[in-house]
This record gives sequence, structure tokens and C-alpha cells, in this order.
Amino acid sequence: MLNKVFFALLLVYTSSYILESNADRLKDQMYIKINGSVACYRRMNSTHQIGCSSNRGGSIGIIHYCDTSQDLDFILKNGSAGQYIPVIPTSLFSLDVMTELISNKHKIAGLILHPTEKPDKFSHDTQCPNSRYSVDGTCSSKSSWNPWGTGLLFADIPFPMFFTENQEQVQIIKQCFQNFNNFSYSTQGDRSLCSLELSAFMYATTSTPTCRRRNNIITNLNPVKLCDPLGDSNVWGSLFPLVEQQEANNQNAKPINDYKYIVVAARMDTTSLFEKTSGAESPITGVVTLLSIAKLLKQMLPDNVSGVRKNVLFILFNGETYDYIGSQRLLYDMERGHFPTDLPINNDILPTIYPENITLFIELSQLAPGRATYAHYIANSELINKFVQSLSENNPSNLPVNSVPNSLPPSSLHTFIRGNSSIKGLVLTNHEKEYRNHYYNSLYDNASNIEFVYMNGSNIPHNSIQKYVGDVATMVAKSIYQELMGQNYTDLAVLNLTLVDEMFHCYLEDPNCKLHMAVQKGRLPKSPLSLYVGVSVVDNFFTTLVTRTLAWFTGDPVAPSGPNCTNLVGNHVFVYYNLSHSLDRLDDMWCYRATVNMTEAVSPAFIIEDYDWSSNKYSSWSESTWNDMGMRMFLTPSSAHQKVTITLGSIVMIFSFIIVYFMKSKSHVLFNLPVREDPPANC
Amino acid sequence: MDLSKVPNEKKLHLSKWYFRAGFALLPFVWAVNAIWFFNEAFRKPEYNEQKQIRKYVIYSGMGALLWLILIVTWITVFQINRASWGEFADKISFIIPLGTP
Repeated sequence: MLNKVFFALLLVYTSSYILESNADRLKDQMYIKINGSVACYRRMNSTHQIGCSSNRGGSIGIIHYCDTSQDLDFILKNGSAGQYIPVIPTSLFSLDVMTELISNKHKIAGLILHPTEKPDKFSHDTQCPNSRYSVDGTCSSKSSWNPWGTGLLFADIPFPMFFTENQEQVQIIKQCFQNFNNFSYSTQGDRSLCSLELSAFMYATTSTPTCRRRNNIITNLNPVKLCDPLGDSNVWGSLFPLVEQQEANNQNAKPINDYKYIVVAARMDTTSLFEKTSGAESPITGVVTLLSIAKLLKQMLPDNVSGVRKNVLFILFNGETYDYIGSQRLLYDMERGHFPTDLPINNDILPTIYPENITLFIELSQLAPGRATYAHYIANSELINKFVQSLSENNPSNLPVNSVPNSLPPSSLHTFIRGNSSIKGLVLTNHEKEYRNHYYNSLYDNASNIEFVYMNGSNIPHNSIQKYVGDVATMVAKSIYQELMGQNYTDLAVLNLTLVDEMFHCYLEDPNCKLHMAVQKGRLPKSPLSLYVGVSVVDNFFTTLVTRTLAWFTGDPVAPSGPNCTNLVGNHVFVYYNLSHSLDRLDDMWCYRATVNMTEAVSPAFIIEDYDWSSNKYSSWSESTWNDMGMRMFLTPSSAHQKVTITLGSIVMIFSFIIVYFMKSKSHVLFNLPVREDPPANC
Repeated sequence: MDLSKVPNEKKLHLSKWYFRAGFALLPFVWAVNAIWFFNEAFRKPEYNEQKQIRKYVIYSGMGALLWLILIVTWITVFQINRASWGEFADKISFIIPLGTP
């Protein structure tokens, strides 16, 4: 009894002693996790893989912190202790440096980038973006749209790359480098060195057809999804309803089949080398202009005008950065009678809109103030001339409208012209021959690139981006009014520039802005929303928000908000949303009825059965899957230390074999066992 | 089973059946036969059944060796050409390594 009490007490004391001790896991004592980094990952098209991947289980290299390109050259020449991971500022990141690193890939285990002062140019798209899916002859190496483009976004990089935005984390890496690595380089092989392990192992390789094939193999014992197609949703809305209504009840609504459509389009995605995107000039200036036009046209034409057999379609294309995914799919759907929905053709609910029904296609591309506003178009026609003329007449800005015939910058219009060359369209941008934007599809295309300053309700200055975008929206809206009604707009509707200001603020700075609170009530992430199209299995916040904003701008408040405001009984004709009355009355909720919806923006290549990948007819981009992504820092022991460890281990193992053999053969002596006689045979 | 305690007829019987079983695409059975009965066939003093056991041991050994050569050749050819064979190689694979072409 006493014994039991004694042992119980002993147990309690021992456990309390253990609790006091340091119970960190060995892993946590060895590694320092580096947070706040975004990785570069792998994408595939029908023939190639692009982007980066680490080794399976992570790529390990010795830190080399570089301030100048001399530091980098030094380590490439003199590095003697194995593979290195250079940590370089973005100002050093260029095509030359990457070419050198790739040609020395046996010495490089990875690359870390951290932001410094803004470089003059930083665009890693190609010089002719999306040229393979554009109209022939619209871009050449002599006169390219994006002459600063390095094309690294489409290069297959043989090591992992991370972008570490958090300066504290960069300092931790630098400190470790100073303490352990940054002296007597010739003896680096003999001492402990500060190293990084980069994990960004990509599951898919080679090309989209390869990984799609492997996704679907049934004999595979270990089925893993290797890649997903890029894609999200296109957003569309119309100025007038697509149905004719007998009074307010939409029971007797009849589809209007004979309308002609003016399309106002913009792209809504960008990309960058890393997981994070910015995208101020492309695509946000275009998106904001489109939404402003929608808002202003609704103010000018609140109701359908009888006798006008024309309508305006607002379309925001997604995935345009990756070979026009959104527009290719929308055109594909249109040609097959699946736009705006996949209801059967000639149904009595909604009209079917075909490409032939589009009379004019106006695309809003990059629209930060440049020298002028340029209207690019390929085929000259009376309609386009007239429209450009009316743009000039309605232009309130001091920047002129110049027409640029026989020219078409990368835009969704390319897809439509390639599909149906008779379509008449023009692209409005701020550049004539090459982009004004030096940061096309990169992290530096941020609010400061378009000199956006949030005015938060106060007066908008005259030479600001808000004013310019407002001016462009006004002139396009007035010209469209003229095209619809056949007469000049003489009423008093003006665009509220505070709204333009608010939109830029929402998309570039703070997603939890007033405008977003007006269109939805959920909490959004603190950092600006990603404008990367992403994989089709994940929905983007941005797409949903833009849809609701477009519905708010073009919809009609039908009743105060209530339980009846749902789309559950939806008949495809209208969409109902609970939205605030105005920016000043956020809590006053109304039920809005709008003709706004989304269509799938996944390349037709992924939905056509037996699609011939080698035909290259449609965009074929897919993104690899991965398991874990991250980086951690630790001290690798010197090579001498490592050799001693392996030698000692081997010696102990060999000795243990000898001892066990010895003990087994002498067991009868050691343990004093009787020697067993063999039992008699035949048992 | 301790072969030293098995009567000779039984040994012959065993060796013969191991040899026959190997024809059911079981090279390991041949390999086992060859190794297990090696001492009986070549290193034991002569006895009546030894000659036949020796025959089975030699044939089993040769069979196993042939299998080994075939399998090693196939694995080498397959691993070298897996990436370039593309779809065909994926179809005949049970496990496709991640992240490799």
C-alpha cells in the first residue's frame, strides 16, 4: 500500500519536472520559419511548362545576400560550399541576371526577391502579349506593345523563386547571413552555414495534355489531381432588360429576339511572376471605366425607350492574360447559341445572342492619363468613323481623342475578329504604339503607377486619374447614347467622380471600402484582392464583387429589401440582389433587379470532348497543384561535421552486428543455457 | 522445413513441384528452388534421387536467371523511355511519379 502511494507521488513529481522543461519540438528548435513570402508556381500550355518548382521535399541552398550584381557574380565564381540561394532586390532582377543564374543552375538552389525602390521597368510578360491568339500583323518585334517585356513569365525556371515582401523577414535572413556566411569565403566549406529550404514542389509537368491525361488515368494506383484549368467567370450585364414586359409583373415577359447590341468590354485579370498581383493600369483602369459608363448610361436612360431596337451589353472578360480564355469561351458559347444562358434556342424566356447581333464592340483597355486617348481599330468603316467622331465631339477632357487605324493592341477584340472578321470594333487606350505602362502584368503596376490618391469624398483634382477616367466614361457614354437614340444627349446626368474615386480605392487599396459594403455585407480580406484569374475550381472575390457592383449600377430598386428578394425562383431573366440605397445610406437596403450574370470563363479546350491539343485553337493554360509551399531557415553543419556523423554511425552499426553475432554464437556460455540435442529424426 | 530431416523421395517431390509451379509465371519459386536445393543437388554425397534434383535445380536456376535478365532489360528500357513514350507509358503505369515528365 505504502509502496503504491510512494510511486504515485514519484510520478507526480517527475511529470511536474518534465512540464517545466523546454518542450519545443526538435523541428522548431532547428528551423526558423520565414513568413510572408509568395512563390512562383508552374503553369502549362499545350506544349510547354512555365514557372518554377522546387525539388520534392524542398530545395536547400546557402544564403547569399546580394546588394549589387557584383555580389551575385562573386558567389557564382567563388562559391565553394555547394548550392546557393541568392537573396536579391527587385531592382537587380532582370533578364540578364536570370539568364546567368539559369546557365549556372548547378550552383543555384533557388532565388529570393525582396522589394526595393521601384525599378524603371518591370514587366515579365512577352513583348507581344498573347501574340499567338491575336490577329496577324498586329505586333512585331520591331514595333511591340510591351518593349520592356522580358518574357520571364513564360520561361521554365529550373529553381524555386519566392518574393518576400516583409522587410522584417528579409532582415532576419540578412542577419543570419552576416553572422555565419559573410566572411572568409574560401573556408565556407569547413564551417556551419546559414541556409534556406524552399518548398514549392509542383505536381504537374510537361504540358496540359500530359497532366490532364494523368489526372484521368484509371489504372493509376495513387490518383492525385495534378493540374486544374485556369479560369473563373466572365461578368455581363445589359442596360435594358432582355425581355419585353407587360407592365411590372414579369409573368408575361417575352424575349426580344431582334435587338442589336453594342458591346462595351474590358478585361478583368492580370498576373505576375508570383502569387501576388497588383494590376492598377491593367486591368483596373478599364474595369472602372466600364463600370462608370454603365452607371452613367443608366442615369441617362433609366428605362427602355420604345422604338429603339438596340441594347448595350457590358462584358468583363476574365483570364484574358492567358491567351484570352474568357473571350474565347464567350464567343464559343455565343456561336453555339449558349449566350446568355444555355437554354434551348428559340425558348420563350430569354433571347439568344449571336455574334452577328453585335453591331459595335468597344473595348476599354489601359486608361491611365497619357498623351491622348487613342481609338485603335483594324478595319475602317463608316460606323467606326462616326463613333470616333462623336467621341471627339463629346470629349470633355483636354486630352484629344486620336484614331489609330490598322492597329490593335492586345485585347479581347482579337478573339472576336478572329472568329468573325466582319465584327466592327475599337479599343480605347492611352497609348499609340507601345504601352505607357512600364509594369504591365507585374507587381509594380500598383496605385502609384497610375498616380492614384484616394480623395475620400473631397473634391477630385483636375489632373487626376479619377477625373481622366470620368472624362473617358462620359464621352463613351454620350457617344453610345447618340448611337442608340440617334440624337445628342442634352439632359443633365453627370458621372459622380466620388464613385470613381471609391472604385479605385476598393480595387487597389482596401477591399472593405464603402462601395463594397454597399453591395455585400461580408468581411473581405485586408489586402487588395487578387486579380489573377486562378484555377476554375476556385471562385474569385473580385469577380463576385464586380458582378454585384454592375448590378447595383444598372439595376432598378424594386422594393425594400425583404425575404422575397431571392433568386431561388429565378427564371434567368432577372437577378435580384439586396443592395444599399446609396453610398451615404449603407444601411438602407433595397431589393435590386438587374440583368446581370456570369458565364463560365474556362477555355473551350477543356470542355470539348476529344479536343485536339495540337490544333492550338483555344487557350490551353492550366496550373499545377502542390501540397505545401513555404520556406524556412536553418544552419547546415560543416561538411567535416557531416562526415564525422556518418562515419560514427556506420562504425556503430558494424560493431553492433559483430556483437550480436558473437553473443548469439556464445549464448549458451553467456546465459548458461543447456545445449539442446537435436531431436530424433522423422518428427 | 529442415531439409536434412526430409527423406530423399520427399525432396525430389518438392523440387519437382517447385520447378513445375514456376511455369505459372512465378520466377521467385524457381529462384527459391535453385537456392534451397543447391546443397542437396551439388554438395551432398551421392544418392539415388540426386541426379533428378540436380536437373530441376539447374533448370530452375536458368529460368530464374532468364526472368532476371528480361525484367532488368524491360525496366531499363521503360525507365529510359517513359517520358518520350508519352501516353502509352502512362497507360501501362500503375504509379506515375509526381513532378517528373
